[in-house]
Amino acid sequence: MIEDIIQILVLIGMMITAYLSVKSRDLMECAILLGVFSFLLSLEFFILQAPDVAIAEAGIGAGLTTAIFVMAVRKTTRWEVEE
Amino acid sequence: MMSKIVRTQANFLYPFILIFGFYVVAHGHITPGGGFQGGAVIATGVALVAVAYGYDTIKKWIKKTHLTAAEGIGLLCFIITAFIGLSTSFFYNFLANSGLIFGNRVPYGINPGYLNTAGTLPIMNLAVGIEVLGGLSVIIMYMMAYGREVKQ
Amino acid sequence: MRNVLMSIVFLILLAFMLYVAINPGDFGSSTGEHFVFGAPKFTDMDNYFIHNGQNQTAANNIVTSIVFDYRGFDTLGEASVLFTAVLGVGVVLRLLGGGRNDE
Repeated sequence: MIEDIIQILVLIGMMITAYLSVKSRDLMECAILLGVFSFLLSLEFFILQAPDVAIAEAGIGAGLTTAIFVMAVRKTTRWEVEE
Repeated sequence: MMSKIVRTQANFLYPFILIFGFYVVAHGHITPGGGFQGGAVIATGVALVAVAYGYDTIKKWIKKTHLTAAEGIGLLCFIITAFIGLSTSFFYNFLANSGLIFGNRVPYGINPGYLNTAGTLPIMNLAVGIEVLGGLSVIIMYMMAYGREVKQ
Repeated sequence: MRNVLMSIVFLILLAFMLYVAINPGDFGSSTGEHFVFGAPKFTDMDNYFIHNGQNQTAANNIVTSIVFDYRGFDTLGEASVLFTAVLGVGVVLRLLGGGRNDE
C-alpha cells in the first residue's frame, strides 16, 4: 500500500516536472527541472527493483547531464527565442 | 569560481563521492552496480569540484591529457582481457574457478559475497570504470574549456 | 490550441502511467503468464542464467555476469560508443570553439 502511494506521488511529480520543463521559457530553469525529473526517474527505477539502472540514472541523468546543460546555457543564450 | 558556501560544501562532499564510486566499481561482481555506474559516480564528483572552482583553477589540478589517456588505457585493458580468453572463445572467463587471482569458487545460493571470486569480471569492471571516468570527466572539461561566457 | 493539445496528451500519459502503477499485472512474479502490456513470458534463458550463472562465472551478481561475460559484445559496443562520443565532442569543440587553446 505504501509503495503504491509513493509510486503514484513519484509519477505525478515526474509528469509535472516534464510539463513545466516543456512550457518554461527560461532555459536554466528547464535544465534544473530536467535534473529533478531524472532524480525522480531514478527513484522510480529503485521502486521497481532495478538498482543498477537507478545508480546509472542518478549519476548520468541527474548529475552530469544537468551540469553539461547548465554550462551550455551559460555559454549561449538563457531565454528561449520566439521564432 | 562560485561562492565560499559552494566551495566548502564541495570540499566536504567530494571524498565521499569518490569513495562511493570506487566502492561501486570494486564490488561490481557482488552488489548492484559495476564499471559504468561507478565511473559515472566518480565523474559526478569531478564535475562537482569543477563547477565549484571554475576552469581556471581546476586546470592546474586535472590535466585533460591524463583523462584521455585513462580513457584509452581502460578500453585497451578491456579488449586485451577479452582477447586473452580467445583460445576457447572471445570473452571467455578463463580465471573463474581456477584458484588463481579472483579464482575462488562461490557456493550456490545465498551467501555473504566474497571479493576474491568471479574471474575476469573484476578486471573488466575496473577497466570499464577507468574508461568511463576518463570519458565523462573529459567531456565536462571540454565543455568548460572552449567557448566564451555570454553576459546575460 | 497547441497548449490545449499538449495538456491533453500529458493528461492521457499521466492516466496511463497511474493505471500501470496501480495495476501492474504479474510484474516480477515467477509464475506469471504475461505482463500487462504483452511482454513475453519467462523463457528458458532466464532459468539457465539463474541456475548456472553462479557456478560458471563464480559471481554473485547475475547482472554483471551477463553484462561482462555472457553478453560481452554488448559492453564492448557500449564502451566503443562512449569513446567515439568523447572523440566527437573533442573534435567539434576544438574546431568551432575558438577559446583558450591550452592543454
